[in-house]
Amino acid sequence: MKDTKKLFYIIVGLYLLIIFFPFFWVFITSFKPESEIWGSEALKVISSNATLDHYKALFKANIFNSLKNSFIIASFTTVYVTVLASLCAYSIARLKFWGKRLLLAAVLGTSMFPQMIVVGPIYRAFVGLGWINSYWITLPYSMITLPVAIYILVTHFTKIPKELEESGMIDGASKIRIFGEIILPLALPGIFTSAIITFIGVWNEFLLALTLNPNSSYHTATVAISFLRGQFTIFWGQVTAATVVVTIPTLIIVLVFQKQIISGLTSGAVKE
Amino acid sequence: MRKYLPLLLIFILVISLAAGCTVKEEPVVEEPVVEEPVVEEPVPVEKTIVKFAVQADSTGALDAIISDFNEQSELYEVEPVIMTNDSGVMHDQLMNSLSGKSGEYDIISMDVVWAGEFAAAGYLEPIDSLIKDAGWKVTDFNAGSMSSGKYKGKNYVLPYFPDLGFLYFRTDIVSEEDAAVLVGGDYSWSDLLTMAEKYKGENGTLYGHVFQSKQYEGLTCNINEFSANWADIQGGLETMKAFADSDATPQDILVYTEGETHNAFLNGESVFARNWPYMNGMAASGDYNIDVANVGYASLPDGGTVGGWILGINNNSQNVEGSHEFLKFISGPEGQKINATVGGYLPGFNALLEDQEVLNANALLTDPGFQVALTKTIARPVVANYSEVSDIIQVKTHEFLSGNGDIESATQIISELFE
Amino acid sequence: MKKLFNFIEDKLGYVLIIPALIFIFAFSIIPIAESLKYSFFDFQLNSQQKSGIYFTEHYNVTLATETFEYVDYYLDTELEVVEKSKTVEQIKTFRTEMISKEEEVLNLLETNEGIIQVSDSDLEFIHQMNKWVYDGLEKIYSNDEPFVLEEDIFLVASELDTSIIVPNFIGFDNFKHVFLDLRVRYALLITLIFTVASVSLELVLGLMVALIMNTAIKGRGMVRTLSLIPWAIPTSVAALIWAYLYNGSNGIVALLFEKMHFIGASTDLMLTANGALISIIIADVWKTTPYMALLLLAGLQIIPRNLYEASAIDGAGKIKSFFKITLPLLKPSILVALLFRTLDAFRIFDLIYVLTGGGPGGKTESISIYAYKMMFAQTRFGYGSALALGMAVVVALIAYFYIKVLEVELISD
Repeated sequence: MKDTKKLFYIIVGLYLLIIFFPFFWVFITSFKPESEIWGSEALKVISSNATLDHYKALFKANIFNSLKNSFIIASFTTVYVTVLASLCAYSIARLKFWGKRLLLAAVLGTSMFPQMIVVGPIYRAFVGLGWINSYWITLPYSMITLPVAIYILVTHFTKIPKELEESGMIDGASKIRIFGEIILPLALPGIFTSAIITFIGVWNEFLLALTLNPNSSYHTATVAISFLRGQFTIFWGQVTAATVVVTIPTLIIVLVFQKQIISGLTSGAVKE
Repeated sequence: MRKYLPLLLIFILVISLAAGCTVKEEPVVEEPVVEEPVVEEPVPVEKTIVKFAVQADSTGALDAIISDFNEQSELYEVEPVIMTNDSGVMHDQLMNSLSGKSGEYDIISMDVVWAGEFAAAGYLEPIDSLIKDAGWKVTDFNAGSMSSGKYKGKNYVLPYFPDLGFLYFRTDIVSEEDAAVLVGGDYSWSDLLTMAEKYKGENGTLYGHVFQSKQYEGLTCNINEFSANWADIQGGLETMKAFADSDATPQDILVYTEGETHNAFLNGESVFARNWPYMNGMAASGDYNIDVANVGYASLPDGGTVGGWILGINNNSQNVEGSHEFLKFISGPEGQKINATVGGYLPGFNALLEDQEVLNANALLTDPGFQVALTKTIARPVVANYSEVSDIIQVKTHEFLSGNGDIESATQIISELFE
Repeated sequence: MKKLFNFIEDKLGYVLIIPALIFIFAFSIIPIAESLKYSFFDFQLNSQQKSGIYFTEHYNVTLATETFEYVDYYLDTELEVVEKSKTVEQIKTFRTEMISKEEEVLNLLETNEGIIQVSDSDLEFIHQMNKWVYDGLEKIYSNDEPFVLEEDIFLVASELDTSIIVPNFIGFDNFKHVFLDLRVRYALLITLIFTVASVSLELVLGLMVALIMNTAIKGRGMVRTLSLIPWAIPTSVAALIWAYLYNGSNGIVALLFEKMHFIGASTDLMLTANGALISIIIADVWKTTPYMALLLLAGLQIIPRNLYEASAIDGAGKIKSFFKITLPLLKPSILVALLFRTLDAFRIFDLIYVLTGGGPGGKTESISIYAYKMMFAQTRFGYGSALALGMAVVVALIAYFYIKVLEVELISD
């Protein structure tokens, strides 16, 4: 018995090591001078000439501007998608109307569609409207995030006990009031969860950002970082420093909101 | 502030939607456009900004050209938009912008092989009138660069910097007699192979000859040279395979790009090498094992592929006048001279080939072997679907070279591309 | 106001879903329909004749006027070299007549720029005019003169034909091409190999980690939190991190593989087809296994403990109770996770785009990458849309297989 426990700890340790090693390696590389990144010293863990040069160079590159773009686009999308999804999910979870199941199936269906199919037409439409390279990109992000948010929220709304509404109804409150005064406060944790998942979803999106905002001043962080690669040479020092900078916001979000994220991820996957 | 307008509009829209007041409203997308207020008058600036899409230039020549132009121009200010160094990605980005009829770039720098596609698509402005107004002739410019930008009888480009493939060899190994033959340019591929096999191993060399045959654009350039500009495709493929299979070339020659080539040659591992002019700059820098005094230059047997970058004007540019002015400057004698003296590039304006300052700055230009190479250049096909054509050439050639395909089908498929 | 309130109250179910529906309609349904439309056309932005959806004949007036200008300018240049006065006369007359022809056609079309629809009679007129120009040029160049632009002028004049745009509706040709395109087959193969390999590895490894985390080990909460990190990292960033670890000259993973003799030389990893594909799979497994583990852990945690106690009393061993209790009860969670992962893996784009760009030599090109290249590098939106639709069909088949055959329950009442 004791041996299995030991084995388990070894496996978990190994698992954590594998998860962490890439970050760790990128992190230490970002402090090495370019000369030590190449050649015989490439595998040295601690550089004897640690430097912040690569981070300084980032100020010249577009990384900070792109982080700002990502932040604006992701926050904004999160706000409006969460509002729309809450209304829609409540309706699906609680109210009776014709075509409900079909609707939920359609919502789920769109989330399974390959994005590649809508990118072309959306790109053409954006070109026509002169919206290429702008924050209008938040609109089509609804395509990716709305179905997921609705799905998460439907699961959460269903969990709220029906009795609360029924007692409200007996008191003669309107459905709108019931939703605003009874359901919403109770559903806040769920809404928050869906907001976090939406935010991460938009923050990580690549294809739409790549095609709709090709100009470097409108790049999001995910796209900007992919453009750091050159044709013949790659300045790994700068690339690793940029990677560290871009990863930090994600790490903060994960560490602070881990509970909500896990609940969001597992809703739907687990039948209770 | 204007960039935040979309967010504001979407926000208002969502709130009004969410409030349930606008249930009957028609599709969302169209609506905000109508509301978009007219932008305030742009603050009048003294000089009109001309945007120039170009890759970073580490030699400092680009900065010098732009600051010289901006200093002397009273009407225009050129602003470089530095594009990614990955040419493939840059091509896609330009494609994306140009097909969207965007005027975000006024002047565009292009790899020579993109011009056919861009011109056919109607993205570029023909420049024949510009050449005429400036009192120049097409023949005043590098022939290879100009022909890569000529589509359906019209000229669309001027040179930024021309490039060509040629042969490097070790003068400390190759006998004077053989060197004379090479420099004269009157030799065949089989002569080269014989020499490569003969000299391999001397002075610590490991290989006789290195060239590019990984499956990428460089392979198209190399097969272009082996096949004498597609004149003899089957013969070219056979010759190339004879080189690849020979003991005189590295075992992994099929993954060689320019990088592997210059590593091998500059570290003194190879007697011959096919590469672009940039390798000479590296050899002269003294950072490598090789002594530049021991490097000789010659044309390739049937001519070297033209490469380099060219400049064109976006058809949707709002600053045609300014673009013309800058294009005349950068491709004309002033700009090309800076490019040649500061950057060490080959001049695209032919008269500079006799300019003493230019000749002093670039030793290659006075070398007799290189001068022969300059006269023997061959272009890659100028077609609208170049990337597709080049892709097929690469795949078929590489398949044959690696022993995964037969010569008949490779020859046939490549020949069909040229019909 | 009261009336409106009552209406909303009455139909609240619909009122609340409409805002979301409008967005889904505008950004999913309409674009999909639009894509379907593109796929029936030879729609290609980088061709002057195909850069629109044309059901009928059109005429590119801008190009035509530019061409007339060019022919006129080239003839003017020839006048400088022409020797015989007869030819000079001939050229001069031709130029005057050509310009009046041009004016005539512009008057007929009532515009001098843009691309406009033309009637059959207009088209007839344009064809005749083009023929007249070619014939006139032929006649001029049949003179024995030291012309300098003969080749160019005929190429330029041929743009008069390019100005005529024929309908580019091609029915099912794009779809036929998808079936015959060898590159599609190869991309499909790569995508399937990637999907099967990465999803099954993720399932096995994820299940292992989940089972261990489900036993009472110390620090479980921390392990769970840390597991979130690879999932939360943007794929393009993860791809770049791995690109660094894999690179041939100083990538530690590439050097490690070389030392372990998995690969011949460290540079082979990203330069050979198999090496690059395996690299992609490893990066994906790294990124997604923790996520899989979390999903499965959540499923494990709702299996009642007393079931295990009961089976322990019956004398069943650990392994037996895993197959008798855990697996059957975990099946719904596994299937849901598998469904989403399979669909995700099949659509893979970001990881390959950043890590290998589809290389070396197109050897790791997934369907998404191919469709993207068609649309955005070659601007062939018609063919690209057909590809994306084909992909959607496969995705639908996969989803159908899971939902109908494996009976995944996604919507519970």
